[in-house]
Amino acid sequence: MMIEFMFAIAIGMLFGIGVFQLLRRDLIKAAIGFAILFSAINLFFVAVGAFEGEFAPYVSNVEAGRSTSDPLIQALILTAIVVSFGSFSLVLGFVNMISRRYDTVDSNDINKLKH
Amino acid sequence: MELIFIAAAPFILALALALPAAQSTLSKTTQTLLSSLVMTALFVWLLSFLPRVQDQGAVIQVFDWAPSLGISLSFYLDGLSLLFGLIITGVGALIFFYTGYYFDQSAEYNRFMVWLSGFSGAMLSVVLSGNLLMMFVAWELTSVTSFVLIGFKGADDAESRAGAFKALFVTGGGALALIIGIIMLSVAAGQILHPDDGTRIAADLSDILRASALAQHDWYTLFAILIMLGGFTKSAQFPFHFWLPGAMSAPTPASAYLHSATMVKAGIYLFARLSPVMYQNELWPSALLTIGLLTMLVGAYFAVKQRDLKALLAYSTVSKLGAIVAMLGLPGQNGVKAALVGIIAHALYKSALFLAAGTIDHATGTRFIDKLGGLRKRMPAMFAVTVISALSMAGMPFLMGFVAKEVLLDAMLHYEGRWTPLVMLGVLFSTAFTAMAAYMLIYDVFLRRPRHKIHFHQPPALIRLSPLILSGLSLTLGFLLEPVIVPLLEPAAPKSFELYLFAGVNEVFLLSLGVLLAGFALFVMRKPLIARIGFPLSCDMIYDEMLEYIGWAGRTVLHTQSGFVRYYLVIILGAVSFVLIASGTLSSVAAGQSFIPRDLSLTITDLAKAFMLILTVTAGILTVVVREHVKAAIAYGVIGYAIGVIFLIEHAPDVALVQLLVETMATVLIIIMLGRIRTRTRFNAIQSLWSGRHDYNFGLVRDLVISITIGGAVFIFALIALQSRPEQQSVAQWHLEHTHVVATEDVVGAIVADFRGTDTLLEIAVFTTAALGVLTLLARGRQSGSAFVPRTAQVSSLHEFNDEVVDEIHDATSLSTPFTRTVSYIVLPIAILIGIAQILYGGIGPGDGFTAGVTIGLAISLWYIVLGYDEARRQLPWFRPEIITRLGLVIAIVNAAIPIILGRGFMGHVQYDKVLGIYELVGSFGLHITSSLIFEIAIAITVMGGLGIIMEAIAYPAARSNGGPQSTEPAEATGG
Repeated sequence: MMIEFMFAIAIGMLFGIGVFQLLRRDLIKAAIGFAILFSAINLFFVAVGAFEGEFAPYVSNVEAGRSTSDPLIQALILTAIVVSFGSFSLVLGFVNMISRRYDTVDSNDINKLKH
Repeated sequence: MELIFIAAAPFILALALALPAAQSTLSKTTQTLLSSLVMTALFVWLLSFLPRVQDQGAVIQVFDWAPSLGISLSFYLDGLSLLFGLIITGVGALIFFYTGYYFDQSAEYNRFMVWLSGFSGAMLSVVLSGNLLMMFVAWELTSVTSFVLIGFKGADDAESRAGAFKALFVTGGGALALIIGIIMLSVAAGQILHPDDGTRIAADLSDILRASALAQHDWYTLFAILIMLGGFTKSAQFPFHFWLPGAMSAPTPASAYLHSATMVKAGIYLFARLSPVMYQNELWPSALLTIGLLTMLVGAYFAVKQRDLKALLAYSTVSKLGAIVAMLGLPGQNGVKAALVGIIAHALYKSALFLAAGTIDHATGTRFIDKLGGLRKRMPAMFAVTVISALSMAGMPFLMGFVAKEVLLDAMLHYEGRWTPLVMLGVLFSTAFTAMAAYMLIYDVFLRRPRHKIHFHQPPALIRLSPLILSGLSLTLGFLLEPVIVPLLEPAAPKSFELYLFAGVNEVFLLSLGVLLAGFALFVMRKPLIARIGFPLSCDMIYDEMLEYIGWAGRTVLHTQSGFVRYYLVIILGAVSFVLIASGTLSSVAAGQSFIPRDLSLTITDLAKAFMLILTVTAGILTVVVREHVKAAIAYGVIGYAIGVIFLIEHAPDVALVQLLVETMATVLIIIMLGRIRTRTRFNAIQSLWSGRHDYNFGLVRDLVISITIGGAVFIFALIALQSRPEQQSVAQWHLEHTHVVATEDVVGAIVADFRGTDTLLEIAVFTTAALGVLTLLARGRQSGSAFVPRTAQVSSLHEFNDEVVDEIHDATSLSTPFTRTVSYIVLPIAILIGIAQILYGGIGPGDGFTAGVTIGLAISLWYIVLGYDEARRQLPWFRPEIITRLGLVIAIVNAAIPIILGRGFMGHVQYDKVLGIYELVGSFGLHITSSLIFEIAIAITVMGGLGIIMEAIAYPAARSNGGPQSTEPAEATGG
């Protein structure tokens, strides 16, 4: 009970922190906030998929009749981590690009996207 | 199997023509011969189906696609589809041949042919598909390809861009109606055929044609109207006819093929196809008849006013299409015969006329009737073509068009409705005007003395062949009704079939002659007549007006755009949080849930988790409150590691491993990138962002409120999800029980590489795309011939950096100590060994292709940091990330495709060691060579390559302002 509550609190807080970072003006912090959002989502998935699993999802554990954690969710997170890294690096690329074009990392200085 | 090849062949042709190799090796003549031979072969192939169609009615070939959704890749060939297929391939072969001589430039020809053969494939798929949903896909494909063909000259011709847009707008809008209609029809047919099972939908033609009760279905009115809208827009029926004249800016072969013989007939095909089940309700026939007759009148009336040859032909096409639609709408399917004969006759004479117009345009440089005249002597072949085809259009006795007009008038004479006299009058009126247009084509273009001097140059001789063949068919087919036309049309018609070239001097024949004479009378007094033709309001004007309003609405919306992307996000997320709170969704979801845990006890593992969670959140808060970016990045790294430890405690060793590696990589990446941003830039940002924070800051409060609301919502959602999660009953249980089948110990690895391998395949493709995105953004001056960024678009990076920073990146003097160098030398081979071990034995323990790829990638990034960019590039000549990534993806795809050949399906599991008979041998090393192993290798290579691309792009330093490595780069670049 308690640990689930703590998980929920942590996920909610990480999400709030990520959103807050995205809303602020500093683009580097926004990129970090973006990555924190990914982490929060992955954390949520693993928390949901943990069940009462006591053992890693290996065939030997299954055959021994031990209760394992949910392998499907782990597989999903596994690929999600790599893909989120890919998109994170893309965000970093954008920040890098912007800092060169506009000589700033303050998003308020960049309002030329309209034109 | 054959039908799928027939439908695919034009697409394959298009792809083959698009290959650079084909463009450079095959001459224009070869390409012309090849493409028209392909179409001829398809024509013959389709013709060989005729006996089977005559015997058994329909040839059906089905490949399951998504059976649970009622979607199958099915092909259905009956008399009707065969007739259309023969027109598409037969006329197609002639027009493909013509195209080769119409275009003078080889490159232009090639580009055109790629799209034209793509179009013919789409069109063939429309008429051959046995499933309405699949037909819809092909239907849309014809719209898209025709958009490109109409706008072919778009780069320097605003008119053709507008025409292409207009065509796509109208037909695409109609298609939106059509898809809704098709779905409703399929659901209704499913209800009729499977009354006990409400969820089945029947989109297969063979099913729908059995559902004869469709006409009594409750939804009939709705889906009939929607489907008719789709057909009317496609077949340019009034009031949507205006796009067809607009489409005349297409190159003439496209006009001849798409806008007379094939695409505009797609709507007619749809009507003919569905008529057997739809016509029993009053709505269908009367709507078709009314709209068809109106279109016929409007088209014929406005045709004679056009001064552009192609526009005249376009309006007369509109008129004929209207006539065919009206025939399909005659009660009791009495007009189908007239419609079918009309389709053949029209395809022959109209494409010939278009090709003649194109040839005239090619020779004289103009299509305007007023500028033409007296071409009889200069272009005798086109004169013959035009005389025969125009007279066939007018319905001169014993040409093919005459037969068509006879059956049309005959069918109309037998029509008994309330408005019969009026309808008859309309038909006679429009046929007379059509005859008048035909006389004008012959006289004004060929016989009349030219008013202006014409610049004439003789077109290539072979350009005449196709129009001559087409008009020859118009001339002779009338005499070959019994041996050729009747057997072709009989399977397509619902009733017994008889055709006569000359049925004696009866009232139909007299009417027909009378119309021809009336047309001649109109022709003689055309000058005053044409001046009077006109109507104050045209559909084109309504369309333009509508576009104006859409444009106005767009501009109005643009006024609300500030250009600050951050505020868009504020508005989006603010609206979400407002809705969450104001609508009461949050409170209603949360109702009845206990938020404060009653049991506060924690086990030892829980304590460890709790500690990690606290660490995560603390580090998260730190990323917000610390000023310096580097510290924030390190705090972010702490979050990643803490979550990795949580994964480990939650019994997810594979995930934990990947998480730890990827987080390391991500943190390294941020820090490297921070080094590439000028210190002053970052300092300025920090200064301006933190200086005003002691004042009352509205923005801060606003952002805090939004993020707290969203965080709170996520908290409630997560808590409910965690507290009320169901017992483990997902598909995961199946995975747990079946993993031993694929000879793997690690269930997660088996899911990634085997059970859900297609997901993973797409996932690495996404990852590669992201990596290429980074490369595209940051490739600057790296290679002179960089594939992604042209030199002009590369950001000039001179003088942006302090020279010492740039030098540090290039040579890394401060980090490069003997100790660090030794470490990085040792680490790389070890990392590669670890990677190989993780791949080979990943089935037994944690680790897989992802971890292997990231491990090696990390070791390489260490080289970049420690040795500096230049040194690392020099010492790792084999590390060419783009090539490595390509290699990985190719291995993955080949490995996914091989099981298809072995009959296991895409991404199927194959035990290669058993197939090759070396199971015992490799088994003694504890190995199993399976398709999943190869897939893991491919994943590792792709991920490594992708990381390499990202590292290179982000680590790549700016050029030194003293002209540094620019000069050494090209030598390196040529190696790849």
